[in-house]
Amino acid sequence: MALLLFYPLVIVLGILSMGFQMLASRLINPHFGSTIVEWSWLITTFLTAFSVGSVLGGWVSSQPATRRGGWQVAIAVTGVVSLAVTAFFSKRMLDAIELHFIPDVAQMNDQGGAGMNAAVLLSCLALFFVPVTALSSFGPQCVGWLAARGTAPGKASGVVYGVSTLGNIAGVMLTTFVLIPHFPLSQLMRGWLAVATVSLAALIVLLRPAAGKISPS
Amino acid sequence: MKKLPSIRFTFLPARTGVLAAVLALTGCGKQEIQAQPTRVAVPPAPAAAPATPAVPTLPPPPKGDYVENFDTTYNNITVQRDGTRVELRARSRRGEFYESVVDVADPTKLILQYSRTVYAAAFFQPEPKRALIIGLGGAGIHRLFAQAYPDALLQTVELDPMVLALCQSRLEFKPTAKTPVAIMDGRMFVKRDTNKYDWILLDAFRGGYVPAHLKTEEFLRECAARLNDHGVFINNLHEGTELFYADIKTMQKVFAQVVLFNPPDSGNVMAFGVTYQTPAITDPAKWPDPEVVGKRLFASVDLAAIKTEHIPIPKEAAAAQVITDDFNPAELLNIIKTNNEAKGR
Repeated sequence: MALLLFYPLVIVLGILSMGFQMLASRLINPHFGSTIVEWSWLITTFLTAFSVGSVLGGWVSSQPATRRGGWQVAIAVTGVVSLAVTAFFSKRMLDAIELHFIPDVAQMNDQGGAGMNAAVLLSCLALFFVPVTALSSFGPQCVGWLAARGTAPGKASGVVYGVSTLGNIAGVMLTTFVLIPHFPLSQLMRGWLAVATVSLAALIVLLRPAAGKISPS
Repeated sequence: MKKLPSIRFTFLPARTGVLAAVLALTGCGKQEIQAQPTRVAVPPAPAAAPATPAVPTLPPPPKGDYVENFDTTYNNITVQRDGTRVELRARSRRGEFYESVVDVADPTKLILQYSRTVYAAAFFQPEPKRALIIGLGGAGIHRLFAQAYPDALLQTVELDPMVLALCQSRLEFKPTAKTPVAIMDGRMFVKRDTNKYDWILLDAFRGGYVPAHLKTEEFLRECAARLNDHGVFINNLHEGTELFYADIKTMQKVFAQVVLFNPPDSGNVMAFGVTYQTPAITDPAKWPDPEVVGKRLFASVDLAAIKTEHIPIPKEAAAAQVITDDFNPAELLNIIKTNNEAKGR
């Protein structure tokens, strides 16, 4: 029964992570254009968040079961709050960053200029890094949960990341071809926040160690 | 030779997303010119304008007639020379599109029909002192402008530095203090530029598409804010998809008056918008005499003939969606075909 909830949640995490990248590009395009510079910083930010999130999730998985739940809640709350900030305040934040780093046209020459790079990087870090890191940290914990239920660790890792990647693909396609063409960005961001809140809460409940099956420690 | 819609380009469309960006970053594609950064020999720009951009250095063009392909950061470009005629074409998923066609022996000759129709702006602002073009293309429009209005400034903003390099080395375009070119995203330029313009032309195609963030109400408002009191905004549109109606509706949301011209056999519709209510510009009978406002122009631009290209606003525009930064289905609308016979004109 738990597995029936587990795999959909893994897919939803994948959708939220990569679909968010497509939304992110729409958020920052009006401020920094649609250039290779913008895309390179955006992709770098997301990959860094995936990397940091994986390490963080692996560390949480190694914590004693009695402390693990607390870390999970802390990371999930941080992710949801940061996503809420992005959903409700991104335009104001982007306006402020843009004006601070690129106050006039004379400082915009060449897309690789320091001001432009700093502005795009700071925007990506401020708006996208924390929520994606938080979402990504649950991947290793899902592997740990599956392994604790008797699945071989290698197989558990392969299955979780395989399913999660399918979610990533679904997220990109769904967001690009269905959601962005049919819904305002502001609504989509609030939808992302709602789905992330519910799915992370469900995941925290699901990942609680069953009585007598506490591992690893 | 197959018939090609006449358009320009500059950007990486957001819909191609991660894959396109990764391809661009990794340099996948065909022959790539190894570029070395250098400085263009352009006189110093005004203080408020960006500094001289760095553009790639290209090898000299082949002797005689030739066809060359260039993979750039944002485009796949074909340059074809046949006598004094040089074509710049851009490839997109729908095939190859004209960006520009110029006769290097006669800078006043405009070959692509839509580029002539741009000069219908003279009906609404016959004495431009400052103009802005978003999207360099092959700089065909620039040559005639520089000849017709020698005292005016024509600022251009272009995303792809290779397009500027090709214009300089293959199409014999020489930027001057009167025709400076900035290399950056068009929206970034408009948002930060503090100058006012009499003409602003949005012609920023990449292949068959204009980037979605240059389609929105917010961007058009940013352009409108850069117009002088009697300035005119010119938008190069393509008919045939739902995006056409959405573009018109979005322009109507921003500009007090919108006038359309349909150059024959081009697939383009040139939309002109002004921010003032009076005098009315929507009645061609009240437009100034083409011979008077076109006296500075040359034989290739017949304003009397261009006047006949005027078309009414299609009725479908009334029900179309306004494109905004928040709700921007431009890419989807651009693939939904329309029935051209149902335009009510």
